[in-house]
Amino acid sequence: MGLLRKIKTDPFEKRMQEVLRARREAAEKDPFGFAAYDHASAERSGYSNYSYWGSTIRVFLKNKVAVILLFVLLLLVGFTLIQPLLPNQHVSGQIINHPTTGVQMSNVAPALSTVRAVAQPGTDLIIMPWEDPEWAAVSNVLQTIKARTQFTVLEYGDDYCKVEIDGKTGYVKNDFSTKLKLPDNPQDTPYPSKSNFAIKLYSAPDDYTNNGDPLFVRKEYLNIEGENARTVSACDLCVLPSKAPFLFGTNNLGQDLWALVWRGTRTSLFIGFTVAVIEALIGILIGVVWGYVRALDRLLTAVYNVVDNIPTTIVLILIAYVMRPGIRTLIFAMCLTGWVGMARFIRNQIIIIRDREYNLASRSLGTKTGRIVMRNLLPYLVSVITMRMALAVPGAIGSEVFITYIGLGLPVSIPSLGNLINAGRKLISTSQSYQLVFPTIVLSVITISFYMIGNAFADAADPKNHV
Amino acid sequence: MVKYVMKRLLSAVVTLIVILTIVFVLVRQMPIEGYFDNFDKLDQSMISARLAQMGLKDPIHVQLFRFFGELLHGNLGTSARYRVGASISDIIAQKAPLSIQMGVMSMALAMLLGIPLGSAMARSKSKFWDKFGTVFIVFINAVPAAVYYIYLQSYGTSLLKISMLFNRDDWKTWILPVFSMSLGNIAYYAMWLRRYMVDEMNKDYVKLAKAKGLSNVKITMGHVFRNAFVPMIQYIPTSLMYTVCGSIYIESLYSVPGMGGLLVDVITRQDNPMVQAIVMIYSSVGIIGLLLGDLLMAVIDPRITLGKKEDVR
Repeated sequence: MGLLRKIKTDPFEKRMQEVLRARREAAEKDPFGFAAYDHASAERSGYSNYSYWGSTIRVFLKNKVAVILLFVLLLLVGFTLIQPLLPNQHVSGQIINHPTTGVQMSNVAPALSTVRAVAQPGTDLIIMPWEDPEWAAVSNVLQTIKARTQFTVLEYGDDYCKVEIDGKTGYVKNDFSTKLKLPDNPQDTPYPSKSNFAIKLYSAPDDYTNNGDPLFVRKEYLNIEGENARTVSACDLCVLPSKAPFLFGTNNLGQDLWALVWRGTRTSLFIGFTVAVIEALIGILIGVVWGYVRALDRLLTAVYNVVDNIPTTIVLILIAYVMRPGIRTLIFAMCLTGWVGMARFIRNQIIIIRDREYNLASRSLGTKTGRIVMRNLLPYLVSVITMRMALAVPGAIGSEVFITYIGLGLPVSIPSLGNLINAGRKLISTSQSYQLVFPTIVLSVITISFYMIGNAFADAADPKNHV
Repeated sequence: MVKYVMKRLLSAVVTLIVILTIVFVLVRQMPIEGYFDNFDKLDQSMISARLAQMGLKDPIHVQLFRFFGELLHGNLGTSARYRVGASISDIIAQKAPLSIQMGVMSMALAMLLGIPLGSAMARSKSKFWDKFGTVFIVFINAVPAAVYYIYLQSYGTSLLKISMLFNRDDWKTWILPVFSMSLGNIAYYAMWLRRYMVDEMNKDYVKLAKAKGLSNVKITMGHVFRNAFVPMIQYIPTSLMYTVCGSIYIESLYSVPGMGGLLVDVITRQDNPMVQAIVMIYSSVGIIGLLLGDLLMAVIDPRITLGKKEDVR
């Protein structure tokens, strides 16, 4: 009866409500009096503005978790598709070498930006030999002071001391790595000092290098004179000649994991969606024939009994073993058994509604079978077909992970979530465990969202829950 | 009853023959490297001589009949790469007991944990256990098993302070593989038992029992649980399948010397006869599991044997 409560409030309804209220009030005053004749009440009839899809959507929207996950999933899928078009992205699969040393940038920890330090205007920097039209490789190491070399401390600071050596002034680090020899009162400058280690003389009280490697600055911030340069304005000193950070770090080959993860997500989603669509198409086709054509029922039931008895995982393994590894093989193997559940479901539903009166009437009037199926039967099943497709996507993604784990999955040249997880698996207990964590988080968000949305939609599509 | 059992047995045998044939024919399509341990060193004439000797040059139906003949004698052929020349039946006879032992243990554990969880969920509707169980079930069903197996192995072993790898004589190393293998089934049992128990609880006889003044515990254990448990029997074959597939992961993850790990091993080594044999065994296990499930249901629920299957309306 909840539906009756949600009656549209058009003018007629409004007037009716008023009349009813007046009558209720009258009845309260005199509960046992005769009711006067009222034309409006005499004409009143209950009607429902029930619409199946409206109710389905309404019930679905009541499930807050599912709605949030739907939102997250849409964002994620959208982001996955547009990610390569965004600015500051590395090309997926490209091996990134350090520009000056040529060494692979392998296992770089995740970072939010490439900026290592910010240099104030007027900072002296040294240009390192490296050619690029836009970026300059810089460092601020004036010279390396050999171990146990005497120098004079001009100013004492907690982190950096200003020193003089051979007529040059500069800064040296003052921490456990340098262990400067200091007098009892280090503030009482100047005094001679030395270090037991080889230390570096910096041009500013800061270390503008990446563990000894040069940093990179855009040339427009610099006033270059030969080997020396001075910053014109405050500028970012970057680890790489690019503003594109390694948000997810890099793998052991020096490939950007961020780009790989999204490329892998695209692959996995492609497999998932394709499998879901193909399974649905084959399942609906066979299910309709199976349910509608009585002559084929025995044969198709026999086929079903055989196919349904074969363990899906085993089919997957066998097909992936026999055929060449690739996306097509995986999709083929998954579809080979996946249609069975859908076909059986459609068949059962079709048998139930096939001989209802409206279908009999339709057939008697000469409607073609195709039209009966498309117009009378299938619209009943749309909700369940959608639900099964939503649940097929995480299933297919999970199968891909499984088959890759066994060693029969996609070649490494095609990044997929399964590939990335399999590669990260060996690093779980090392400091590079982020290479497993990021793909698994993305994977779990996708699969859990699809699963929850599919189930919430199934609940919402069930007319029992529409009241 | 007898008629139904015979019919069901017949269909299982037919299915088995069809599947074995398909597997056999498919594996014949593999590159012939998988039949040799030293393919690169052989010249063309030696290869064709060996192939002829192994009978691989005969027409496929001759090979197939020979294969079924050998199978009836319990002979699955010989390994080509994994352990050259060894009889596959012997290798599997060595490996299978451990897998079976683990599988049985994990299924027992799954029932031991899944059934109480399911009934706790049904009784505490939308309280702690129900919420906990729902989150658990969604997680286990949605997230691919490979992912949480990996984390469970890494964090579990460091938490228990044991080695990552399985050791037959150290009981502590049994815990994690058996537990991981049972996770899927725990969720599966809990999910269905909860559903059936909630259905039963809404029935009139429960209201009557309440009206008579029976205690909640008596109603749940004596009436609801008993009735809800009967349909659970049909999930045993599926859970057997879960266990078998889970064992493929788990055994290679923990280096358990069982059948599942063996399958991954021979796949990476491309040992065609071994892959064929193990795939056949696994599919037979699936079929036998389904057969047993149907027969069990027939014993428990006599209506089935009257030929009115639920889905044939």
